[in-house]
Amino acid sequence: MAAMKRHVLYIVRLKRYLSSYLGTILILVSLIGSSVRAEVGRPRGVAISKSSFYKPGDTFTCLDNSAVLPYSQVNDDYCDCKDGTDEPGTSACPNGFFHCTNAGHKPMYIPSSRVGDSICDCCDGTDEYSGEVICDNTCKELGRAAKEERERKKQLLGEGYEIRKQYCEQGKTAKEEKRSRLEQLQYDKVQSETIRNDMEALKNQAEIPEKEAKDKHQQAWEAEKASRQANREIDQITSAFKELDKNGDQFMSKEELQLHPEMDIDNNTVVSDTEAKEHLEDNDQVDFDTFKDKVWPNIKDIYRSPEPVAEEPPEGSTVEPEESPPVDPEMEADNDRDLEEEDDDDEASPTPPTLPADVMGNDEDEDEYSDGDEDDMEDDRKDERGEEGSPPAQEEEKMPDYDEETKKLIEDAALSRANFDEADKRFRDTEKELNDINSFLNMDLGPDEVFYPLKDQCYEFTDREYIYKLCPFDQASQRPKSGGTETNLGRWGHWAGPENNKYENMKFEKGLNCWNGPDRSVLVTLHCGTNNEIVSVAEPNRCEYTFNFNTPAVCIDTTPEEPHDEHDEL
Amino acid sequence: MPFKSWRDSGFCRRQRYIDLPSLYTATLDSTTTEDDTLGFALHNTGNDHHLQVELTGLQHNCARLKINERQPVKPRYEIPVGDVLVQHPQKNKLNTLNRDESSVTITMNDVQAVIHAHPFQIEFTYQDTNVINMNARGLLNFECLQGKTHSGKVKHKTTHSSMYEPLRKKPRTTGNQQSQDVDTDDTELGEFAESFGSFTDTNPNGPSSVGVDVDFPGFTHVYGIPEHAESLCLKSTRNKEPYRLFNLDVYGYETHSPQSLYGSVPLMIAHSEEQTVGMFWHNASDTWIDIDIQESDKKQKAQTNTHWFSESGVIDIFLLFGPTPEDVFSQYGLLTGTTPLPPLFALGYHQSRWNYKDEDDVRKVDSGFDTHGIPYDVLWLDIEHTDKKKYFTWDKINFPNARKMIEDLSAKGRKMVTIVDPHIKQDEDYTIYKEASQRNYFVKNKDSIPYEGKCWPGLSHWLDFTNPEVRQYWSSKCGIDQYKESTEDLYIWNDMNEPSVFEGPETTLYKDCIHHKGWEHRDLHNTYGMYQHMATNQGLLARSGGKKRPFVLSRSFFAGSQRWGAVWTGDNVATWEHLQITVPMLLTLNITGMTFSGADIGGFAKNPTPELLTRWYQTAAFQPFFRGHSSHKTERREPWLQPEENIKITRDAICMRYSWLPYWYTLFYHGEVKGGPLIKPLWVAFPRDKVTFDADDCFMLGSAVLVHPVMEEGVSEISVLLPGKEEVWYDVDDHKLYVGAETYAIPVTLSKIPIFQRGGYIIPRRDRARSSTAHSWADPYTLIVCVNKQIFAKGDLYVDDFQTLNYKNGEYCHREFIFENATLTNRNCDTSGVYEPKAGVKEVIIVGSSLKPTSAIIHWQNQAQVEET
Repeated sequence: MAAMKRHVLYIVRLKRYLSSYLGTILILVSLIGSSVRAEVGRPRGVAISKSSFYKPGDTFTCLDNSAVLPYSQVNDDYCDCKDGTDEPGTSACPNGFFHCTNAGHKPMYIPSSRVGDSICDCCDGTDEYSGEVICDNTCKELGRAAKEERERKKQLLGEGYEIRKQYCEQGKTAKEEKRSRLEQLQYDKVQSETIRNDMEALKNQAEIPEKEAKDKHQQAWEAEKASRQANREIDQITSAFKELDKNGDQFMSKEELQLHPEMDIDNNTVVSDTEAKEHLEDNDQVDFDTFKDKVWPNIKDIYRSPEPVAEEPPEGSTVEPEESPPVDPEMEADNDRDLEEEDDDDEASPTPPTLPADVMGNDEDEDEYSDGDEDDMEDDRKDERGEEGSPPAQEEEKMPDYDEETKKLIEDAALSRANFDEADKRFRDTEKELNDINSFLNMDLGPDEVFYPLKDQCYEFTDREYIYKLCPFDQASQRPKSGGTETNLGRWGHWAGPENNKYENMKFEKGLNCWNGPDRSVLVTLHCGTNNEIVSVAEPNRCEYTFNFNTPAVCIDTTPEEPHDEHDEL
Repeated sequence: MPFKSWRDSGFCRRQRYIDLPSLYTATLDSTTTEDDTLGFALHNTGNDHHLQVELTGLQHNCARLKINERQPVKPRYEIPVGDVLVQHPQKNKLNTLNRDESSVTITMNDVQAVIHAHPFQIEFTYQDTNVINMNARGLLNFECLQGKTHSGKVKHKTTHSSMYEPLRKKPRTTGNQQSQDVDTDDTELGEFAESFGSFTDTNPNGPSSVGVDVDFPGFTHVYGIPEHAESLCLKSTRNKEPYRLFNLDVYGYETHSPQSLYGSVPLMIAHSEEQTVGMFWHNASDTWIDIDIQESDKKQKAQTNTHWFSESGVIDIFLLFGPTPEDVFSQYGLLTGTTPLPPLFALGYHQSRWNYKDEDDVRKVDSGFDTHGIPYDVLWLDIEHTDKKKYFTWDKINFPNARKMIEDLSAKGRKMVTIVDPHIKQDEDYTIYKEASQRNYFVKNKDSIPYEGKCWPGLSHWLDFTNPEVRQYWSSKCGIDQYKESTEDLYIWNDMNEPSVFEGPETTLYKDCIHHKGWEHRDLHNTYGMYQHMATNQGLLARSGGKKRPFVLSRSFFAGSQRWGAVWTGDNVATWEHLQITVPMLLTLNITGMTFSGADIGGFAKNPTPELLTRWYQTAAFQPFFRGHSSHKTERREPWLQPEENIKITRDAICMRYSWLPYWYTLFYHGEVKGGPLIKPLWVAFPRDKVTFDADDCFMLGSAVLVHPVMEEGVSEISVLLPGKEEVWYDVDDHKLYVGAETYAIPVTLSKIPIFQRGGYIIPRRDRARSSTAHSWADPYTLIVCVNKQIFAKGDLYVDDFQTLNYKNGEYCHREFIFENATLTNRNCDTSGVYEPKAGVKEVIIVGSSLKPTSAIIHWQNQAQVEET
């Protein structure tokens, strides 16, 4: 099959319908017959501006010069030119266009595929010339309506434009004010910073003697406290020894110790010889000095006096709060789960919880405390709570007042501190205002600052289910009509219009995340209107909202004047 | 897992683990012979049960084998004739050749059957070749009803024990190989009440399953039994899950799994280089199929063994002896019907989404197509268009002027489709709920009160479409007078009709629910969706006074559903794997009669990349049902929302679909007349060419075109098999010539998918890009003539009014074209067609001829007219 090596392609162009095959010759005739309706002087579907290319003659040249055809092949319902220009009045070319004159309204081009498809595309009906459908000429009405619409828009644009001018004024004024305020603030900042630094130096100066005097006083008090504590401990040891030495022989014996059930180490309710001897450091009996030095440290934590021992503050009350790690309340709230897990650990380990009960604040923990002597513990804790906020120690534990000289130094230092705080605050306020102004001045409020009046404003729109709120340059949100919490749909992101009109759209982004989906976001499209208002809200994609917003701020004519194709209008 | 594995199903365990020689003996001296039917008794020596067998000869080389209880204590379910079977099949005379105690031999045309008495089995031969064996491995197991209902716990019945006792030790699928041991104690047999998760099936009638083995000696390739997201060629299930047929709502299903999906067609086709045969298992209950493929080796001949078991009903098998693939398709078409010619608009592009939210949204999407010069025909509305999911109603706020909206689409030659599901919202203000309650039209639960479950509207009831009176009622609801705001351009879509029941067992109805005439849901589950599809179709037909062709899409289907409209492959996913699986899934549907089928373009769930979406459009443009659809959780994906290049390519793909519609329409016409697939596996077109048997990444569109879609990301070249030693193929884009029986590396770009026209064929096209099918009625045709090595080509074109049923009364035109001896002739190939088309052929493109045409001579009414070239 040598012939098959090269593939050959031929297209047979049938000038007429292969009518023996489908349809009848009558249809063919009627199709040709109906073509008479085209305007005189130029073929159907040709704009008057192009009529010079279609002068009747022997030949027709495709407008792209790709071919020269017999003139009879223009509008013969068979596509010959690559650019489709030989069939301006039929649907034969896939890339062709049909021109409707549309007298009384706007002329237009429609794709060839819309010609003879039984749908009236041109208001003058010229695209449906076969007679299969009858198209009313609606150009006059449409023209009138279009004119009215143009006028309405023009009027709206005019009114809106006036307001827009005011917006620009307001915006410019605001920016100017802020700019001049900026200069003032920059000066103020330098000034207030100097003052602040001076005040800081003075404060530091005054604080040195104050600290020295206070430290001295404190040290003296510490020494005094230590000696008092030592005396108290001796008293305690003495009274314990006295109580333990039942027979008063100035020796505490193993047997005497065995009378105290709390000395039981292995919790078998019996204080055995071994246990007693362990407490007694392997002695059978001890005198007071040995008791004080060797034995007391062993038993002081477990020893319990049969009668309440005089006003001994409970061990935990002074120590524990200081040892407790600071608890960040936020952390506690955020990490409920973690805390619970910690609780579990506590239950498992024999060490007492390190967090004070009032911080942990739950009953289960309280139960844990109480496996010892319930009543005592309960009472202790009640005391603790009662004294909450006041110094833990008794009257005698209070540090004596500073002497007059120290008091004076403290007073002086406090004054210079107050002065510094004030100067510092002034400096910070200035700095903050400066930052605010800078960010305002850097904000893109559109040409001539026209969007300034929209800043710090919010607009609402209610549909079937929700109330939507748009605060330009801040955020957009939604809340159910029936009440309930507000959902953040997005924070101000950026202007998002097309390149030639960037201020047409506002983008709000990074709103609340949708379950299994994107963060919510809003695209706002701005339209000219005399009021600022949201006119519609939609959610074309899940969690991607679109708002249409009317504002005078965009009432500026960006479109060119009416198309100048008027000469086709006969 | 919300869905059952075979181990979760009691009857499946009982049937799959038989490991005994057959206990059944045919008592052949009891044989009764009518002209066309051989009847005899079977006796189970194990449990003393008696069965009755009927072997019937059918016309066109088919046979029917029916096995039922000889004296059932109560009737067993049989699908009414007319529902799945179009009618009682035409019988054929049987001749008894030989009869003695041990065997009977009968013949019917080219088919011979030998029935052996003990053990009972039947060998079928076609022209002296053994092609099918029944019960050769003794897996026949027919659980007879015990006449007593049980509602309590599982009881072990001694009457059954003799059968089961020895069976539990060695699991056995098919063939001689044994899978791993599984202990199945008595309580696991699930004979009566059976639990799955938190669901209990009371199964009051007790065990009623049926199963038998069917072997195909000499075959290693079997196809069919949709719907599974699996390869075209069925796989061996040894030591794996069997293929299951039980209609279920499986959102975002996995690909390459034997898991049952939305519909079922229990038709299997076995194919070899010598012959094609088929078997149709006429049973609507939960069905599982084991397949064991033995390649030939020194020890044994090639053979495919299959084992079929269903939860209830009877054994009713149709055997189709071919011998060609086309013969099997038309044999099956005679049994269950063919796909009627759809209205032309239904072959165009459909744009759907869950959901187009309101009338303005509809208007914008509609005009988006016009703005971007993309044709489309139908716009679809999902559930949100209704008033609180009450079907046949409108959300008055978002769709206040629905009729006007539909009319606006009509004015542009377009149509609308709304969704209508089978669940009925429990709401006293809902007419259909009230009427259906009063008339007792709902499916009942086991306690005979209307079953209440959840679906989209919340608490709902399910209409019992198995009741003809309910179908009649439903059809009336489709009427223009009943369906408010509807017009004749509004068509219907039936979703969730497996039926899908939220929080139900396997997301469907309980098997012990009760239908019309007291049948259990278990008996007929797989036909539920088909009955709704049928009722909706008949409603649309009645609405136009029987004049216009209905169009109804259904998600669930069964054998025979092809008569009621299109189906699609449900909730697929935006992945390349899901795009790839559309080809074997739709090919399988096509060879099992469900020809008008498609997959959601882009994938229903998740977001496709622009490349995936574009490739999907290119592929789907050559699949029968062509619809873009997506979930509300996905981003909008109307074609023009893609990058510029993708818009253009998508537009080209859709326009190509439209220009090829004359060819498509002609294929559909042949499909109605003869049955058989529209898109075909390669082996159907090249049945003797073994290299084609496994191909499922490409397909034939009709006989003239091979489509090899690009379904991989970022590829620049794909490997394309062009079969046929004697064939030549032409790339449809550049008419480049390729010789057959070779694999080519074809370079591809995003805009290119390899499509080839086969030498020897002529394709009719309509190349004018209109905005919908309604606008092309008067457009001329172009013929693409691709010659073969003999410089010969032929093709045809079928034309009618594209929308009414008048073609049934002869208002059509069917022309044949032959290019031979350098002359193209066309002739009326069906003189009973009297329709005069509104358009003719305007252009002929001849590809591959070395003869340069000098002139075209047109012969018309015996007169010759010379035209220039």
